[in-house]
Amino acid sequence: MTKLRNVAVVGFAQAPIVAADEHHTGPEMLYPVVQAALESAGLERSDVDYQCAGSSDYVDGRAFSFSQVLEVMGAWPPVQDSHVEMDAIWAAHLVWVKMQAGESEVAIVCGFGKTSEGSPSHVLNLQLEPFYAAAIGLDPTSTAALQASAYMARSGADDRALAEIASKNRAAGAKNPDGQLREAATPEELMATPWAVKPLREGYLAPIGETATCMVLAVEGRAEKICDRPAWIHGVDHRIELQALGSRDLSRSESTTLAARNAFEMAGLASASAADVVELGSTNPAEELILRDALGLPASARAQGGPAINPSGSAQCANPLMNTGLLRLAEGFRQLSGRAGERGVPGAKRAVVHASAGHGLQQNIVWVLGTERRWS
Amino acid sequence: MKRPVAVVGVGQTHHTSKRADVNVAEMVREAVDRALLDAGLEHDDIDAIVLGKAPDPLEGIMQPEQYLAGALGAHLKPIIRVHTAGSVGCTTALTAATHVASGLYGRILTIAFEKQSEGNAMWALSPNYAFTQPMVAGAGGFFAPYCRAYIARSGAPGHIGAVVAANARENAGRNEYAHLRDPMTVEEALNSMMLWEPIRFLETCPSSDGAIALVMANEDHARRGPRKPAWLKAGATFTEPMYVPGRDQVSPLAGRTCAKWVYDKAGIRDPWNEIQVAEIYVPFSWYEPMWLENLGFAPLNEGWKVVDRGDQKMGRHLPINPSGGVLNTNPIGASGMLRFGEAALQVMGRAGEHQVGGVKTALGHAYGGGAQYFSIGILAAEL
Repeated sequence: MTKLRNVAVVGFAQAPIVAADEHHTGPEMLYPVVQAALESAGLERSDVDYQCAGSSDYVDGRAFSFSQVLEVMGAWPPVQDSHVEMDAIWAAHLVWVKMQAGESEVAIVCGFGKTSEGSPSHVLNLQLEPFYAAAIGLDPTSTAALQASAYMARSGADDRALAEIASKNRAAGAKNPDGQLREAATPEELMATPWAVKPLREGYLAPIGETATCMVLAVEGRAEKICDRPAWIHGVDHRIELQALGSRDLSRSESTTLAARNAFEMAGLASASAADVVELGSTNPAEELILRDALGLPASARAQGGPAINPSGSAQCANPLMNTGLLRLAEGFRQLSGRAGERGVPGAKRAVVHASAGHGLQQNIVWVLGTERRWS
Repeated sequence: MKRPVAVVGVGQTHHTSKRADVNVAEMVREAVDRALLDAGLEHDDIDAIVLGKAPDPLEGIMQPEQYLAGALGAHLKPIIRVHTAGSVGCTTALTAATHVASGLYGRILTIAFEKQSEGNAMWALSPNYAFTQPMVAGAGGFFAPYCRAYIARSGAPGHIGAVVAANARENAGRNEYAHLRDPMTVEEALNSMMLWEPIRFLETCPSSDGAIALVMANEDHARRGPRKPAWLKAGATFTEPMYVPGRDQVSPLAGRTCAKWVYDKAGIRDPWNEIQVAEIYVPFSWYEPMWLENLGFAPLNEGWKVVDRGDQKMGRHLPINPSGGVLNTNPIGASGMLRFGEAALQVMGRAGEHQVGGVKTALGHAYGGGAQYFSIGILAAEL
């Protein structure tokens, strides 16, 4: 593997994740978050040489939504800037690529999405192919249910297996002060909740929320001065699949497997099982089981040993669109830098982080973070 | 660039008001096929894909790169989606270049498109923000006051806009891919309906359907390709907020900063004499003299004199938009990449009927938002 430039996550801040913040616009939610992230890193805005945001016009219900956060991200005097119409974790990836190209040394990545401005299930329907898929009214819960059925048929996993995964995440989420859904629930309680779309129960689904996030990344030489315990990026890759639900094996996540293989090779990590922490972007337990399968992790919530999976409660306990992925990377940073509080995994040295986009886990990104520099 | 980056393939669709014969995926695929054919490559040769377009509400498909994954040949590849308002096409090409310069990817396919006939751009470009006066006038209504401010402070005579429009149309007549190609005189432009003073009907861009794709490659791949590459000497994007007290909306600081940055990186001290052709983003006629100043081609308040002298015409000192530019072809999200791609074709010597003679260095430029987002690439015939 070619020697790459060591880049680290060195700071992060977020707004509380809520169903609806009735008192603030998206930019108003983001402003204190940018200030807090810079303050946590001991930086002035002028120390930052590049900024990149991730957001969606459709989520915010207006064209050019991203242009409204330039003021709060601090774009005066003019700054080098970009924006991806994707979850902000892909903005973090672009920053990492930019740093590999020698075009940035210290950058901020922002995510925001004012989901309460619209109806996310209707909005996300518009991601689908417009003539045959979107037109029949498929929403993310329907496509997730089709995927869950495909996985259960292939693997033999039953309702209880899903309930146990969901319950495990709810217990973890209850200990995460930055989460949205913070009530533990037993598998039995969750199995008593009504079907959302069979075979997914309402108790298995992530609450859609809204927040704002800001992450600081820096290259070697700067990162150590900014952060006492940087989380170094050891490897990363992302892949997409065809969208049409009939064009791929929905019971598997081939793009996750491929992205993980490439990221692990870059990181010199034998497998996900060799990490101390795994944080997944799954928004329901069937997705988590498919991702565990793709990453070679145990298919049961009761499996002993191996890495701590989803110490944050995962996206199943908070799904603030456009931020959900970046929050997974933030969890990796918090776990490795001693910033995870009560839910911190003792002695964690390496973390695998995953995030997803699109219907039925269409697009996936896998990162490996470590407490030590990857390349010397 | 940390590692050399080149454009090695260019493909675009014919641009028109309504491509009723194709859907979004089919239209995008046309440009992709042409770019790969141009570069002598197959989908398997591509390491990653960078897609750009303007707001999703223009077609009514959210994050269309997900639906387009098949049409783009993206299955099991990395793909990212850039959106930086009107500048997005140029910024997307520069994002692809960054991927190559990182050393992580050898060959990138980059695409930008808009299918304006699928929606209503006037509606989509009239956002209603909290605590902000609604615009309800589309981009033309937004930019007209900036053009008036330019005329007021520069003393430019009223015919300049029409001269820009007529020259752009003459150039478009030589570009087989351009949307509007019918001959048009200065008088016709001057006599056309006033839409948003001082912008008349024939001084404004059309709504177009169209796409452009480029293949960008590292030095090794570029030198082994079938064609002469266009080397990217420098590229940058700079952005400024809308509401800053004292902000100069006529000649924004972000544009001037971006131009200075790329000239410094490309070793250009005197852009007027060291660049032989420029493709600049002119959706409304008056933006040509305004950007000539902002880009450092003319002193402050004297951009209109370049136009009045005719130095921007084909065969003169610095041909501007030999492709016919945004004034005659505007698939919004693609318009910036068309500027970048046309600049590449000029340094490759493959611009056909609208080729400028002796081009060693060319500039591709785009802007967007409320004249906030600036994106510039400098392309050269030699590394």
